[in-house]
Amino acid sequence: MSGFGIGASLPRLEDARFLEGRGQFCADVALPGMLHAAFVRSPHAHARILAIRKPVGFEEQVFCAADLAGVGRIRSTAKLPGFKPSDWPVLAAGKVKHAGEPVVMAIGSTPAEAEDIAAQVEVEFAQLPPVVSMWDALKSGASLVHDEWGDNVLVDLKLENGDLAAAKAAAVHTVERSFRMNRMHPLALEGRACVASYDSRLDELVVYVAHQLPVPLQIGLSQVLGISQRRLRIIAPDVGGSFGLKTYIESETVCVAWAAMKLRRPVRWVQDRYESLVCDANCRDYHAKVTAYADASGKVLGMECDVIVDSGAYSPWPWPAGIEGGLAMGNMQGCYDIRAFRGRAINVVSNKPAGQPFRGVARPLSCLGHEVVMDALAEAVGIDPVEIRLRNFVRPEQMPYASITKKTLDSGNYSAALKRSAELIDLPAVRARQKKGEPDGRLIGVGFASFYEQTAYGTGPFGYALWGIELVPGMEPAVARLTGDGELILEVGTHSHGQGHETVFAQLAYEVLGIDPRKVSVRFGDTSTSPVGTGTYTSRSMVSAGGAIVEACRLLQGPISKIGAHLLQCQEADVSLRDGRVFGPRGSVELAEIGRAWYHHPEDLPEKMDVAGLTATAGHKPHDPGVFAYSAHAAVVAVDPEVGSVEVIDYAIVADCGKRVNPLLVEGQVIGGFSNGLGNALYEESTYDDQGQPTATTLADYTAPTAPSIPDVKLEFIETPSPYAMFGIKGIGENGAIGPPAAIANAVNDALRPLKASVFETPITASRVRAAVMRARSAGGA
Amino acid sequence: MRTVNIRVNGKLVSRPVEDRLSLADFVRDHCLLTGTHVGCEHGVCGACTLLMDGKPVRSCITLAAAADECDVRTVEGYRDDPLMQAIHAAFNLRHALQCGFCTPGMLATAYDMLSRIPDLDRDRIRIELGGNLCRCTGYLSIIQAIEDVHAQRVAKAATPPSKG
Amino acid sequence: MKPAPLSYSRPEALSGVLDALRQSSGDARVIAGGQSLGPMLNFRIAQPRQLVDISRIDALCTTAMEGDALAIGACVTHARIEDGEIPDVTLGLMRHIARGIAYRAVRNRGTIGGSLAHADPAADWLATMIALDASVRLQSTPGVRQLKVADFVVGALDTQIVEAEVISHVLVPRLTASARWGHNKYAKKSGDFAESAAISIFDGERGVARVVLGRRAEPPALMQRTSEQLAADGGRPSGGAEAAVEADLRSLGVKPGDWTMHRVIVMRALRDMAT
Repeated sequence: MSGFGIGASLPRLEDARFLEGRGQFCADVALPGMLHAAFVRSPHAHARILAIRKPVGFEEQVFCAADLAGVGRIRSTAKLPGFKPSDWPVLAAGKVKHAGEPVVMAIGSTPAEAEDIAAQVEVEFAQLPPVVSMWDALKSGASLVHDEWGDNVLVDLKLENGDLAAAKAAAVHTVERSFRMNRMHPLALEGRACVASYDSRLDELVVYVAHQLPVPLQIGLSQVLGISQRRLRIIAPDVGGSFGLKTYIESETVCVAWAAMKLRRPVRWVQDRYESLVCDANCRDYHAKVTAYADASGKVLGMECDVIVDSGAYSPWPWPAGIEGGLAMGNMQGCYDIRAFRGRAINVVSNKPAGQPFRGVARPLSCLGHEVVMDALAEAVGIDPVEIRLRNFVRPEQMPYASITKKTLDSGNYSAALKRSAELIDLPAVRARQKKGEPDGRLIGVGFASFYEQTAYGTGPFGYALWGIELVPGMEPAVARLTGDGELILEVGTHSHGQGHETVFAQLAYEVLGIDPRKVSVRFGDTSTSPVGTGTYTSRSMVSAGGAIVEACRLLQGPISKIGAHLLQCQEADVSLRDGRVFGPRGSVELAEIGRAWYHHPEDLPEKMDVAGLTATAGHKPHDPGVFAYSAHAAVVAVDPEVGSVEVIDYAIVADCGKRVNPLLVEGQVIGGFSNGLGNALYEESTYDDQGQPTATTLADYTAPTAPSIPDVKLEFIETPSPYAMFGIKGIGENGAIGPPAAIANAVNDALRPLKASVFETPITASRVRAAVMRARSAGGA
Repeated sequence: MRTVNIRVNGKLVSRPVEDRLSLADFVRDHCLLTGTHVGCEHGVCGACTLLMDGKPVRSCITLAAAADECDVRTVEGYRDDPLMQAIHAAFNLRHALQCGFCTPGMLATAYDMLSRIPDLDRDRIRIELGGNLCRCTGYLSIIQAIEDVHAQRVAKAATPPSKG
Repeated sequence: MKPAPLSYSRPEALSGVLDALRQSSGDARVIAGGQSLGPMLNFRIAQPRQLVDISRIDALCTTAMEGDALAIGACVTHARIEDGEIPDVTLGLMRHIARGIAYRAVRNRGTIGGSLAHADPAADWLATMIALDASVRLQSTPGVRQLKVADFVVGALDTQIVEAEVISHVLVPRLTASARWGHNKYAKKSGDFAESAAISIFDGERGVARVVLGRRAEPPALMQRTSEQLAADGGRPSGGAEAAVEADLRSLGVKPGDWTMHRVIVMRALRDMAT
């Protein structure tokens, strides 16, 4: 291990442009003659469109659905049994199905002018009864979101395995918990944005989009626009955070692309924050009931869960709404050795924006489920929450472990992580403090969350192909090219929007070729130059694209060694690559010599060179079942039962993502994820009134964690390599976000136990805590 | 419409602008300095923070017209500034940025608190950063980077000047 | 979002401002720091045809003693108060409050007059000025009038200011050296508007005992019985305080789910007076 290779905490090479204000985000792209788009959006959650009146004199600049000639609909499908597809119209026609749905596009020469024109458009609506909550959706005789469906159920999934009846019969302890995780917004700091421009020289539509999946977007957008893929170039430049938000085909992208072709002028749209909070595909919005059946010692014999997911009005492309329910159910057994299971996940639609996977994707709900149940069991059995988990964990010697929900847990030591997390918060000291009582009257509580994160999973048999959706990852490609002056270009099909790929992928190349990472360009995000990969999602980039980079660099070793040996007049077997040179027994040459020979002086080359020369294309197929990172979180909270405030006074994370390529960046991913999870647990909620109107439409109402909200976190890593991934690497991107709702909920309820109060709803706001305490008091609690 | 005269990063910029144009849009679209980012347009997220007459302000809710005859310093305007260079180095070493969108606002706020507050500590840094939203880093690395720079400055101030 | 079209002016003196307002027939708004009005313009919630910028008028940025009160120019920023750049007539209370308003970047532009004119019920200056029994001086072309802040604010975002009238000064009575104050607030996050805030002031020499409750959606209210109890206790809160607080919360129509929170915050403010 050196300062540059795998395991090096190399500070990021891409930081300079961001520190100096030279990043290039979509809103920074300015093309000559560029026009600007603004959208007229539905003020109603559910309504028929009766008439659209364009402002006089601006008819050529105002477009509605009827004007979008040649544009299809966005249709996301899945092969899940009983799945009902729906069309997501580019601009609403006939009916609007959520507040904020775009109805009309206005084009102006400045953003302000486009908004002025949009403000003059008149749309006449006839309101319909809205389906606001999941309970509204499920009521018989409910208003229908999609008239052709007959009900509001998008998909109803079931999963059963093992002998649950026997488990129930043998159970000594049965615990049941119901809980709600409220809707949230991914709140990437850069809003959604796109710029479209027609390149007449190449007969190609160029679309800059803030996006995580450039190639899938190219495929889907070409279908909706009705143009061939070779005539559509997607460029995802610097992207200001995404976390799953910027992964779907957006109406606005289609409209702007269409306008650029129609008007033969570049068109840009940059979302504003109000728009974002009103109409973006947001996330979470779950309810679950989980029951565990355990023997006398607390060993869980069987588990049941019923999950309801409110997916909003539409299925995003490529990830249709049904996936979250399936994932929530399919991960509900957690790290525990449970052999009987029954699960049901109902995905309903409602008159709210589409539901979209957000960092963690249903796993925060599963984690909340299995972890609150574990605490409930601990109480029933009369043992402490650490001990109950230790009794139930899958043990290392059982791995690879095929779980009841068809996950293959590859490697790890869940017990070690949990025990260490308890040490880091000094559990005995906290318990003593809890007993003693606080001078300010606050109540101390401790909570744990142990969970795994399935990362970089692939095609099948239980992966994406099973769902039959429009995005199925397979072989992830990479191209490595040594340049004429001996430096390296790497091209990948993933996308880095904060993850530091320009550094970590260069570190992988260094590991194989010995080239200084500062002499490596990592390119991605442009379908003209990126190989066809599926993008960044499911914490997969390091395993899949990273694996492909290693393979491509290994392929390059051959020609480099061959030319080097020829120049050094020695045997190929006697050369080695390091420090940017090829070393032989009697001397060395720098890589620039190798490049010079190949590109400019073929007379200096050995015979029988492969025509691919110094360009290598490789692909890496990750292990289809995925590789399983895991963590143990421990939270200590101080709850003020009268104000209701919850302060996290200590927090520990013990994480294992196998071999870490860049520990500094891995830490950043975990802490960043933790802050999202903390928001999920305590702060963030997208609220709606009983007419389906969004009420958290500014950042004053939608509160996200800021620096004073984040406690210092004690973070440690275990490195248990995965036997199924190159170098034993596992993904880590979503890990930090999964644990906090469970750890903090458990801690708050531990604190409130003397008052016989509990909260099983996130975010755990002060008013919810006060309400729980009040309820307990009137029920005759302590 | 009016002509505004604003000294941006030391250079006088004179431009005709709409009265309703924000200072953020002025530096971005008229001065072509796109380092200042717009994240909310209601003064909460802090991404647009820049220095106006030496003080951090929200450029998204400041009119360019209101900044007439003022001195504006954007994230691009700190070349050769030793304090900002130290902040850059600390941010890089501590991994205090990921997607980079909040970074210009963070830098302006960090620069201001390091210049203005002699007894900065971790708790105070947290509070002073409270108006800058970040979704990627979880803040701890940013707090650490600022703490590092403060410690360097304290150490430097405590070092007796060399003789000769 | 971008504001609707508008025209901006910056008269050199207050007389120019009043002229512009008078001539505009209701379509003009005064802007000082823009921290409240700026977002409203961007959301197009406010669409004035004219904006009249008063933030650089010298006469509105200075302070002067007027008898026993400090007249603070309406355009004095929160940051200047935080930094101790104005005379301290409140034994550090105003400086303490200023430091807790939003964030420094907002404090660098936001003004005390602007905050009172906008009258967001949870604005820190509202509760503070009511607790201090401060007044606003309102200037218009016909003349000047003065109102207690408690009377000036009539509801959420609603004041007694009339068309073509501007707050020129905030008049804060000087606390005597033996006075005591206490403050506490709870906000979801540091810098947010408070869900609950309380300020208590006892100035025995002037016979002043005032306890004010600040809430998120309703304007701050003087807590009658708690104030009387504080006076009876000679400024050192006793066992009777809690009952008085509860009585006041009831008569103020506080929602049952918020009682315990407000009660705790008020009691903490009262205890804070001892330190």
